[in-house]
Amino acid sequence: MSQEGPQFDVQQVPGREALRQKIEARIRHLERASGNGLWSMVLFLLVSFFAFDGFAILPDLSDDARRMLGAPPPGEMISLALVVYAFSSIVRTLARMSRNIKPYTGLMHAAFFTAFYTFYQLSGVLQDNFWAVFFAGISVMGLDNYYLWSHSNAAVRKERALLESMRRGGEENVQ
Amino acid sequence: MLSSINSRAIVPVACAVTGFVIACCVLLYTFVKDDLIKGEIQHAADLSDTIIKSTRYAMLHDDRESLSNIINSIGEQNLVEHVRIFNKKGLIMFSPDSREVSQFIDKSAAGCTECHAGTEPKRSLGTMAKARQFTNNAGSDVLAITAPFYNEPECFNAACHFHDPEQSLLGTLDIGVSQDPLKRTLGQIQNRMIMFSAMVLVLTVGAVCSLLYRQVFLPIKQLADFTEDSSGDTLNDEFPEVSGEVARLANAFQKMTRRVRELEGQLQEKEREAIPPDSLP
Repeated sequence: MSQEGPQFDVQQVPGREALRQKIEARIRHLERASGNGLWSMVLFLLVSFFAFDGFAILPDLSDDARRMLGAPPPGEMISLALVVYAFSSIVRTLARMSRNIKPYTGLMHAAFFTAFYTFYQLSGVLQDNFWAVFFAGISVMGLDNYYLWSHSNAAVRKERALLESMRRGGEENVQ
Repeated sequence: MLSSINSRAIVPVACAVTGFVIACCVLLYTFVKDDLIKGEIQHAADLSDTIIKSTRYAMLHDDRESLSNIINSIGEQNLVEHVRIFNKKGLIMFSPDSREVSQFIDKSAAGCTECHAGTEPKRSLGTMAKARQFTNNAGSDVLAITAPFYNEPECFNAACHFHDPEQSLLGTLDIGVSQDPLKRTLGQIQNRMIMFSAMVLVLTVGAVCSLLYRQVFLPIKQLADFTEDSSGDTLNDEFPEVSGEVARLANAFQKMTRRVRELEGQLQEKEREAIPPDSLP
């Protein structure tokens, strides 16, 4: 019996250390994922800043480029697409929240709202519709980021509790 | 800030709903504005058609005095900012403003470029393309529309034979109407939409908040208070005021606590029995 004790400790400590490192890596990953949402929001705000004055920083499209792109979609169709996109995104995020499904962490929303700004600009009606895209983007991405943040925080708390229980278990073994 | 269940449940959803409603209101306002402007353009186009038809007889008879009277009378209307007829070369022939008469129109100005942008001028335009909006020197917003006088058989077959049949366009009517009434209407619509949206938001968010508070958060708070007071007498009482899942949870907690107390009592009884009576002081 006296020989089994030290052998058990020798086998357990590396496994416990690996698990601890794995948990810490998971915590870092969750914290990084939570930050991704913020990056997406910052990107959207930056694009909105440039869109506010009609992308004046960018050069005007040449006639050849416009001919190549073809006729821009009508403003009404873009607005309809914006409402459908914002509505379905909010419903999807609320559904994810209610069923506790892993939140979305990518830059898709920022890319889509940038596309809406671009389409409005090409149709020549960005000035009238800027605030619609801005508030739709803020509400969709704000809700998404809130869910990502709260979900990540809950997961991090769980992982930290696991780490703490491991630490306590280790101390008890030593005693 | 987001530590309590109230704020965690209500604030994000309220913000998302508010943002979405604002976005929809902006889009709705844009739709209404576009529709009103299109209506205004159609109205101005109808007005220009009426003027063209009204001046037709005078033109066929080369009655310049009648034509000038018609144009002057139209120009006296309150909302008409300008009205002028110019010939194919761009020379203004009739206008209520005598300073404009015999002046050339700038073909590169807004309103002319729609037809004269290319090397060959366009012969016809859609109603919307004929219209232009600008702010005049007095700072008033103006919606102007240009309408062509086409050469028709009655024109080149008339007794005077003044016009060549090959000539497709004889001149152009340019009329500008003030957009002040439209701006006032849009301002009223905007204010009403803001008030309506604010009321809808306050009612929606307020109703959801109060219902959630009454049906969920308050019972949970009472349950938390009830369970925290585990050493008191309340555990022997029925959990009051609520029903449903929260009451079930409270009853389950009561049963569990009673069972724990019974077990603790039994354990203490067994410990007392296990101690020999002579070891007691």
